[in-house]
Amino acid sequence: MRFIDFIKEKVLTILLLTFALITIEIFLMAYVVDNFIKIYIPVVIIVLYFLSITVEYYKKKKFYKNLYKTLDSLEEKYLIAEIIDNPNFLEGKILKDIILQTDKSMLENVNKYKYLQEDYKEYIELWIHEIKIPIAASKMVVANNKNEVTKSIDEELDKLENYVEQALFYARSNNVEKDYYIRKCSLKNIVNESIKKNKNNLIQEKISIDIYNLEQEVNTDSKWVVFILNQIIQNSIKYKKQNADAKIEIYSEKKKENVILYIKDSGIGIKKGEITRVFEKGFTGTNGRIVGKKSTGIGLYLCKKLCDKLRITRKLNSMENEGTEIRLVFPINSYMDMK
Amino acid sequence: MAKILIVEDDEKLRNELEIFLNNNGYKAESLKTFNNTINDILKINPDLVLLDINLPGTDGEYVCKEIRKNSSMPIIMVTSRDNEVDELLSINYGADHYITKPFNIQILLAKIGAILRRTNMYGENFEKIDAKDFVLNISKSTIEKNGKEIELTKNEFRILKYLVQNREKIVSRDDIMECLWDSESFIDDNTLTVNITRLRNKLEELNLKELLETKRGQGYILKRREN
Repeated sequence: MRFIDFIKEKVLTILLLTFALITIEIFLMAYVVDNFIKIYIPVVIIVLYFLSITVEYYKKKKFYKNLYKTLDSLEEKYLIAEIIDNPNFLEGKILKDIILQTDKSMLENVNKYKYLQEDYKEYIELWIHEIKIPIAASKMVVANNKNEVTKSIDEELDKLENYVEQALFYARSNNVEKDYYIRKCSLKNIVNESIKKNKNNLIQEKISIDIYNLEQEVNTDSKWVVFILNQIIQNSIKYKKQNADAKIEIYSEKKKENVILYIKDSGIGIKKGEITRVFEKGFTGTNGRIVGKKSTGIGLYLCKKLCDKLRITRKLNSMENEGTEIRLVFPINSYMDMK
Repeated sequence: MAKILIVEDDEKLRNELEIFLNNNGYKAESLKTFNNTINDILKINPDLVLLDINLPGTDGEYVCKEIRKNSSMPIIMVTSRDNEVDELLSINYGADHYITKPFNIQILLAKIGAILRRTNMYGENFEKIDAKDFVLNISKSTIEKNGKEIELTKNEFRILKYLVQNREKIVSRDDIMECLWDSESFIDDNTLTVNITRLRNKLEELNLKELLETKRGQGYILKRREN
């Protein structure tokens, strides 16, 4: 708040005051009055008036300056009314009261949506657990009646299961609360688990698997990592080269501060300009638009989100027509600085 | 024959599991009502229980805890809740294993086999499989015939075991591969061919070569010797 701005606000009072002083001077001149009085009256009025607005100015300036400073340092700005001192002038008091009331109403509104979202997430999780039962039953029927037809149904059931899983992790990934459980897991078990999950597809597509150097332990949530690997492997299957020997290579490397897991495929690769964008939500790219690929742009986006939560960094290298390599870097001391 | 009790409220899943386990060398039974689950389980006293976590009126975790107070029968928890915390909780309540729906049935079979072997109730039977024309020795990974013994590699043994389990049925190459992949041996097509050839040679040493036939374009079949 600059003084000049403050004075501008007072322009009307100053004009009226000046007008009053001029009329007083005219009256005083019409009567025979001592010169001292002619000067004393306007000077006293002007000095006292300026004194009063200066006091007012500093009072307000102090309050608003303080207010802005607190506001700047505050991460959740809507909490401002809870923090500032009680102002000692009327407008300030009105302002604080208004902010308090606005905050209250906003918080109520926000809570309403928080509740709705929580409710929705609970429903989704419940639904997912429910739908797994008919999937499990269908898979049992298939197992008891093995033939060409049921085998084909089984493949579709696998896809269904995958989509369901994706929805579950999507719901989990948006949750603010901790939904994972970190403990020591064997990297080998995690990799084996994710390959087994995709065995039908991998065998059908004649993709050979080469895994080695996986005798490492990492601190993480194995269920989440299996899901992440699952998405990556599914992409490798989806974007394999036609009429060529397809291969997926998975191995790890232990460094001083982390364990790196490499997932390499010999697929069609990703265009240079698109590599940085594959983790974006809804990004399908040139490959995703190839007929029959049905890319949703959700898989890798979810990978990114889940990796971020688990503090796994990822790197993606790819050459068109050569293949793609994804690296997942597990920090060794991840569980100390886990949020 | 090991008796397995299925405690699952979804009727279809329950029936199909029963059929499946009966087809795979177990005697499966299931509870149809859940008013007195704990006593029913204890009364039937099976060799292993497959216990669903979500049961009407009660929950599997409680049932598991109560059974443990009276019995040490092996319990496999079955659930559709898929997270680490639930898994740990179940183990804490005394379950021997935890498996999530929808389950990989081959893995379920392997788990049941492993737990039954560990509790040693059927120890002897699980050591050897009598395939009439020869005997499979699981602990030594060998085939025996008339006192002669031939060692098999892990994969050869698994293939032969799978063929024995599906005796006189045509088994496709993909089926064999899936079976091997389930036991975490991720071989490719060429390796499978090599393994089959080696298995044939070993069978020949025991004069059993003609049992394993190739069905062109369909797969393999392990026949019985006609007497």
